[in-house]
Amino acid sequence: MTLGIVSYLTFFAVVVTILGIATLGLNLQWGSTGLFNAGIVGFYGIGAYAQAILTAAPRPELLGNFGLPWIVGIVGAMVCSALMAALVGLVTLRLRGDYLAIATFGIATVLQVIALNWDGLTGGSLGMTSIPRPLASLFSDPFAYNVFYLGLTLAAAAIVYVGLERIIRSPWGRVLKAIREDETAAIALGKNAARFRFEAFVLGCTVTGLAGALYVSFIGFVGPFDFLPIITFQIWTMLIVGGSGNNRGALLCSLIVWALWTGSGTLISRIVPAAYQTQGGAIQSILIGLVLVLTLMFKPRGLIGEEPVVSRHAR
Amino acid sequence: MKRMIWTSLGTLLALSCWGAAPAIAQTASCPIKIGAILPLTGSMGPVGKHIAESAQLAIDTINQGGGIKGCQVQFILRDDQGQPTVGVDAAKYLVEVERVAALSGSVSSGVTLPILTAVAVPSGVPLVSCCSTAATFTTMAAEGRTNGFFFRTLPTLKTQAYATAKVTAERGYKRIAIIYLNTDFGTGMVKDFTKATEKLGGKVVKAVAYNENQPSYRAEVNAAMAEKPDALFLVAFPQDGATMTREWISLGGTQNLVLNNALRSLDYIKLVGAKYLQSAFGMDNASVAGPTVDAFKVAFQKAYNTSPDGPGIYNQYDAIMAIGLAIALAPDLSGKSIRDAMRKFQTEGGTIVGTGPDAFREAIALIKAGKPIRYVGATGPLTFDANGDVSGPALIWTVKGEALAIDRQISLDDMAALFKSID
Repeated sequence: MTLGIVSYLTFFAVVVTILGIATLGLNLQWGSTGLFNAGIVGFYGIGAYAQAILTAAPRPELLGNFGLPWIVGIVGAMVCSALMAALVGLVTLRLRGDYLAIATFGIATVLQVIALNWDGLTGGSLGMTSIPRPLASLFSDPFAYNVFYLGLTLAAAAIVYVGLERIIRSPWGRVLKAIREDETAAIALGKNAARFRFEAFVLGCTVTGLAGALYVSFIGFVGPFDFLPIITFQIWTMLIVGGSGNNRGALLCSLIVWALWTGSGTLISRIVPAAYQTQGGAIQSILIGLVLVLTLMFKPRGLIGEEPVVSRHAR
Repeated sequence: MKRMIWTSLGTLLALSCWGAAPAIAQTASCPIKIGAILPLTGSMGPVGKHIAESAQLAIDTINQGGGIKGCQVQFILRDDQGQPTVGVDAAKYLVEVERVAALSGSVSSGVTLPILTAVAVPSGVPLVSCCSTAATFTTMAAEGRTNGFFFRTLPTLKTQAYATAKVTAERGYKRIAIIYLNTDFGTGMVKDFTKATEKLGGKVVKAVAYNENQPSYRAEVNAAMAEKPDALFLVAFPQDGATMTREWISLGGTQNLVLNNALRSLDYIKLVGAKYLQSAFGMDNASVAGPTVDAFKVAFQKAYNTSPDGPGIYNQYDAIMAIGLAIALAPDLSGKSIRDAMRKFQTEGGTIVGTGPDAFREAIALIKAGKPIRYVGATGPLTFDANGDVSGPALIWTVKGEALAIDRQISLDDMAALFKSID
């Protein structure tokens, strides 16, 4: 039984880490640069599908499925997300605030519909199964494997975290904040705001794509229903509750929000009497909403707010 | 600040581990736990809620019938919110922390598939779905990728596709064109129909996909007509189907039409004009009749004060009953034993056991006595094939004058024979 809990928590931690990586990507865009990307799920999905298409074993009915090694899939997924982000960035980044949000939301929806309809590449509504898990043959026990995979995702999260921390503390990162606070002033100081915004957008989406790739190679299945707008909402919640602009807050709140999302289901199935179990789902939704609203009322800047000063030289 | 975070984290951890505490104290395996993951909220919520009620009714049936192996059954229901990630997490929790003997769920194939690949198969726990129709499950089972842990209690598309192909062949149509809706339903139907038709000596000369809600389907109709087929098989919904049929007939296409189950509607017939449909026929799943079905209907009506005639309700009841009977038949509670027992309550010539607590008690007594049983449930006689799929009876309908008529029924036995001759 205790082993069961540890086993479940390992599984849970893998999902949290993956969502945390996606939240770090969004934090660079929104927290640091002020880009309202409401289409995160689109880039998450591109990473996921790229991983599946590159690494899954060939099947006669599918165009892709190249059966390449896992690491090629991961790199490929990041490259694909970056390319798509570059394309989207060129078209939309002149838009500001709400307009950018609507445009990116629309693009994510388009990407989901393409995944649903391009049967030859994505498997259409059936999705793709049997996506290989890295080094799966070395482990006979699912628990041991999940521990290994947790190590893998934690390593990926650590690399992304350290990298982003260094970047936002660099001169490049300070320009992003300058743009977020006052774009006109940044331009007046001779900074090419459009280029910086573009770079931050592409880099953030690349990180989100990595998260998508890690997710499918863990679950072993990818389908269009994994990439509905609710994921965008969840990742945004993780960032806002954690405190936008703070990478540690983003990671911590991936844990808290996902624990709330799934833990509330557990709680409901324990405290609600059997006769009312079928109403439990609705109570769960109310509970999630309530906790989020209360957090924002009492901690409007998020659980861990942004550090006011990040430069080494300014302390 | 920091303290608050750690406190809240601690609370969450405590909450998720709470479930474990009472269970540790128990030495025996009572109660036996059955888990279900169903969409109670989200877009499928309205459907999922009644399906969950049906599952609860089945659990009550088992418990009122004396339980299994001397234990009461505890039902643990989790909401997947229509989200694959949430569903997989819930399944993992049910398997690892609650240690359920078997799982049931979910409704959308997109949720059921990751539960199967990420939880049920690696952990070796049987998964019985009421409602996931995707053909992928059959393919995966046939390729040995489910290790036999997947079962479902609703007839697959094959039932419709094979029955349609059989009657098409009987009518002497050799060259058949298809126009079909571009979804997993449409593509799956075309695949199975083509396979069956070729086995029965016919040929699909052209298959044209269409997208919904177009003002005209002239391009699709022309493409299908270019092959000069003996008959046209239309896999469509009434509105688009009618537009297409009118264009087909006005351009001089054959009136030998083969129609799918969704077109069995008076709207469609009115929109096309009944006189053009006199030589058409269609296929549908036949509703099963019988005392066990009626008993379920009455019980559901009584328990929830509403009719069970909605999607998945009959099928979910049988999904839970199948799990219950398999656990009773299995020598122990391991996933492998339960999986292997799933086909032991479908013995031909065994004593028939139906729905309801009394029937369940009788089934348990028969199992104890080592007698073979045949479960006939809310969906009729339940028979899992090698891939964990079931088939169902079918009916052939035609248009007589202005009205719909049932031409004949294809019984479950005929269906089984047909499946054998094609697969």
